[in-house]
Amino acid sequence: MMTAFVHSISGEGPRDRAYLAVVMLLVLVVFAVPLLGLSPLASTPLGLDGYQVNLIGQVMAFALLALSLDLVWGYAGYLSLGHGLFFAIGGYLVGMHMIKLAYVGQSGVPTFLNYMGLSEFPFYWSGMEHFWVALLGALLLTALVSFVIGFLAFRSRVVGVYFAILSQAFVYVAMLIMSRNDTGFGGNNGITGFQSLFGVPLSAIESKVWLATASALVTLLTLILLRRLTRGPVGKLLVGVRDDEDRLRVLGYETLWLKIAVWCGSGLLAAIAGMLYVPQVQVASPQLLSPMLSIEIAVWVAIGGRGYLYGAIIGAILVNILKFWLTRFMPELWPFILSGAVLLVVVVLRNGLMDPGPTFRFLFESVRRQKVAGKGEGA
Amino acid sequence: MRAGKIVLCLLLLVLATFVPVQAADIDRQGLVGIWCAGDDAERRDSFAAMLSQVESADEPTRQWVQSVLSAYREGDLFCTAETAFRPAGEAYENVLTGERVDALPADANAPFLNIPLRRALEPVSRAVTLVVSPEAAERLGAADGLSRSLGVVPPALIEELYATEPDARVRSALEQVLVGVWLASGDPADQQRAIAALAADPTRQNLTTLERFVDGAEGSLSPSVEAAADEALSKVKLTVQASDILTVLYHGLSYGSVLFLAALGLAVIFGLMGVINLAQAEFVMIGAYVTWFVQEALKVVAPDLLDAYIFIAIPFAFLGPALVGVLMEWGVVRHLYHRPLLTLLATWAVSLLLINIVRVSIGTQNLSFYTPEYLKSGFTVFSEFAITWTRLLSIFFAALALVGTLFVLYRTRFGLRVRATTQNRRMSGCVGVSTRRTDSMAFAFGSGLAGIAGLALSNIYNVNPTMGTSLIIDSFIVVVVGGVGSVLGTAVAALGIGELNAFIEPQYGAVASKVIVLLAVILFIQQKPNGLFPPKGRR
Repeated sequence: MMTAFVHSISGEGPRDRAYLAVVMLLVLVVFAVPLLGLSPLASTPLGLDGYQVNLIGQVMAFALLALSLDLVWGYAGYLSLGHGLFFAIGGYLVGMHMIKLAYVGQSGVPTFLNYMGLSEFPFYWSGMEHFWVALLGALLLTALVSFVIGFLAFRSRVVGVYFAILSQAFVYVAMLIMSRNDTGFGGNNGITGFQSLFGVPLSAIESKVWLATASALVTLLTLILLRRLTRGPVGKLLVGVRDDEDRLRVLGYETLWLKIAVWCGSGLLAAIAGMLYVPQVQVASPQLLSPMLSIEIAVWVAIGGRGYLYGAIIGAILVNILKFWLTRFMPELWPFILSGAVLLVVVVLRNGLMDPGPTFRFLFESVRRQKVAGKGEGA
Repeated sequence: MRAGKIVLCLLLLVLATFVPVQAADIDRQGLVGIWCAGDDAERRDSFAAMLSQVESADEPTRQWVQSVLSAYREGDLFCTAETAFRPAGEAYENVLTGERVDALPADANAPFLNIPLRRALEPVSRAVTLVVSPEAAERLGAADGLSRSLGVVPPALIEELYATEPDARVRSALEQVLVGVWLASGDPADQQRAIAALAADPTRQNLTTLERFVDGAEGSLSPSVEAAADEALSKVKLTVQASDILTVLYHGLSYGSVLFLAALGLAVIFGLMGVINLAQAEFVMIGAYVTWFVQEALKVVAPDLLDAYIFIAIPFAFLGPALVGVLMEWGVVRHLYHRPLLTLLATWAVSLLLINIVRVSIGTQNLSFYTPEYLKSGFTVFSEFAITWTRLLSIFFAALALVGTLFVLYRTRFGLRVRATTQNRRMSGCVGVSTRRTDSMAFAFGSGLAGIAGLALSNIYNVNPTMGTSLIIDSFIVVVVGGVGSVLGTAVAALGIGELNAFIEPQYGAVASKVIVLLAVILFIQQKPNGLFPPKGRR
């Protein structure tokens, strides 16, 4: 496992170029979506319609989610199969905000609360009409939940496969809880019927454009921030945790708090991704918590390549665009293609698209030989 | 209403022309007329009236009443304007004349019985069976049914039947019917009888009857009755509680055995190779599907052996998944040793693939399994504690798998190699164990065990392509608690979690039990990170 990652921190040459390319792509999305999606250019052949803008926005939210997972998996070496939990916390809270906002100034409650026999909002909905309350609530709740999980898991040195399945168990149990009607969050159908966000109706093209732009922008900023973070001392420590945690501990580093901090930070990013995602799909349901989604996040990262950050973004974009396209035209085929792609990437390639390994070296060989002669072949 | 009156007039007309075949004390024609065309109240009254007459009627009339009544209840009594027909073999019999016709007249149709009428009819037909039937078993069934609702059946009739009943079991069943009557009679002797009858059959229903009686008749009872009632109450309560606890334990045991079957293969593979096979649950599914295939094949090839299909399927349910396991190990897992997290993803992809292959090729519907006669019911041990054969079978399979695995691991060369490789892979390689082949065979063995789990589940669970998804997390938790690679640890952990589940679930629901079990396991890991039986030795 160690040798596969050697490039990740040496990151010179072509790696920098790839990073810059992904940054440029995100910058392009940030500018292109409002330009092509809004009124002057939207009706031209170059313009984007509502569906396309929405698709770009969702993919960007997924890219942020993949980024958050790459931080813990690619760098600290802890695979979480339960990141949907944090994604859902953000999603549900922003959903609650939008519902509450729609009911400000009028009596009555949404049907799913009526169904529970409630005639007014329970206490935990109070203040939700203010966006900052929902945002703060989502971040605090995520921090709390991720801290408890991280503390319990890392303190007793739960590692590797154990950690992966344990995180999966958390998200599975959360899904079971939220699927019940008496939890008060709409049960299986989830929260839906949102109308507007920041005063812009969700059905309007403007809200789609700004949500997509915001998703791309947050992803871009997060990428730059995490890049700086991981190339600094924190990144070195994280790679140390990943490659030989015992040695790091023997050297005198307390890895517990480092791991908890990174885990919580990753959870917060996932929650933000959820807050960006739910207004775009206009429903917050237990689907966000399904083990399938949480595993798929790991699949995006695995296909893109772990430990490069931008690899996760590439993986999320590729897989999700393919998914959107295939589930629209050939829904039966998608599971086969997904599992086939995972098997191919995981078994044949060494680290996703970032490091194809010896079998497929030739694909990249010619390019690399031209650009950086003899460099980066040590693995 | 009007139609009914017209029909009645017609019947009267007919009455004038027809001569009854047989003079009897029951007005057959009038009865059939009301049953066919009367309104609800008339029909209901006719049931009670018929019941009071049937007891004193002669034997042929009794038989007639029973046969027509049962046809009526089943919707097999086809009315025409003058008479009615009931099926008799291939043909139909005119119930008034006894004539047989090959086909029903064109205007014949079965009168519709709404739900209140059915409810009124049910006890009456049971009472008729009690009076008429010569078979003790039939009378027993009728008496059991009557204890639920006496309806319009007069208690005096039941008392009379009780006094003349020759069969002891029917008598005790009738006692249960009469308990309510006796208790309400106010006669101490009858009340004593009722209390004795209730105490003799300590079920939950009788417990509530007793409690209601004691609460309701506060102070109005004679001292001897009250003492007897209190004694009976405490005895019944104790028995019911004991049976409840045993029932929960038994359910826990059966759920635990399912968990054990699902987790055992996982534990062996994980212990040996450090690989979690997320497709393990799909091997369970394949095992169940193979069992189904065996059943379907037997239906065509050898229907005589169908009853034994569960046992015939054992080798197939083991070998089928084992084969898939070997393929998977060869194609996927062996490339990923030392990369357990990627193995996790790869095995997940395989599970997705397997689910979808089955989904596309066979379909998503639940498979229907033939339950052999000898598995259908079970027996009541005492009070509420009943053992069902299907659950017992899964426990039997779990025990079989436990013994088989222990035998293979500790009494065969292959097991020796597995244990050696588990302890120290490199050292075993040095002394000549082919670790590659051991891995491959152990993977097949673990997959086969999952297949046996699928076989055992086929009569308990819904068998469909996604049946495994809820199983995998539970079985992994069992492996974590039990300790990696420990067969006995897996057994103990599976039973413990199964029992925990069984104790929580009836009170707080399935979701709460999952939450509590997960929290308990996380707290457990805090104390014992390596499980109940951690592997010995240095790594």
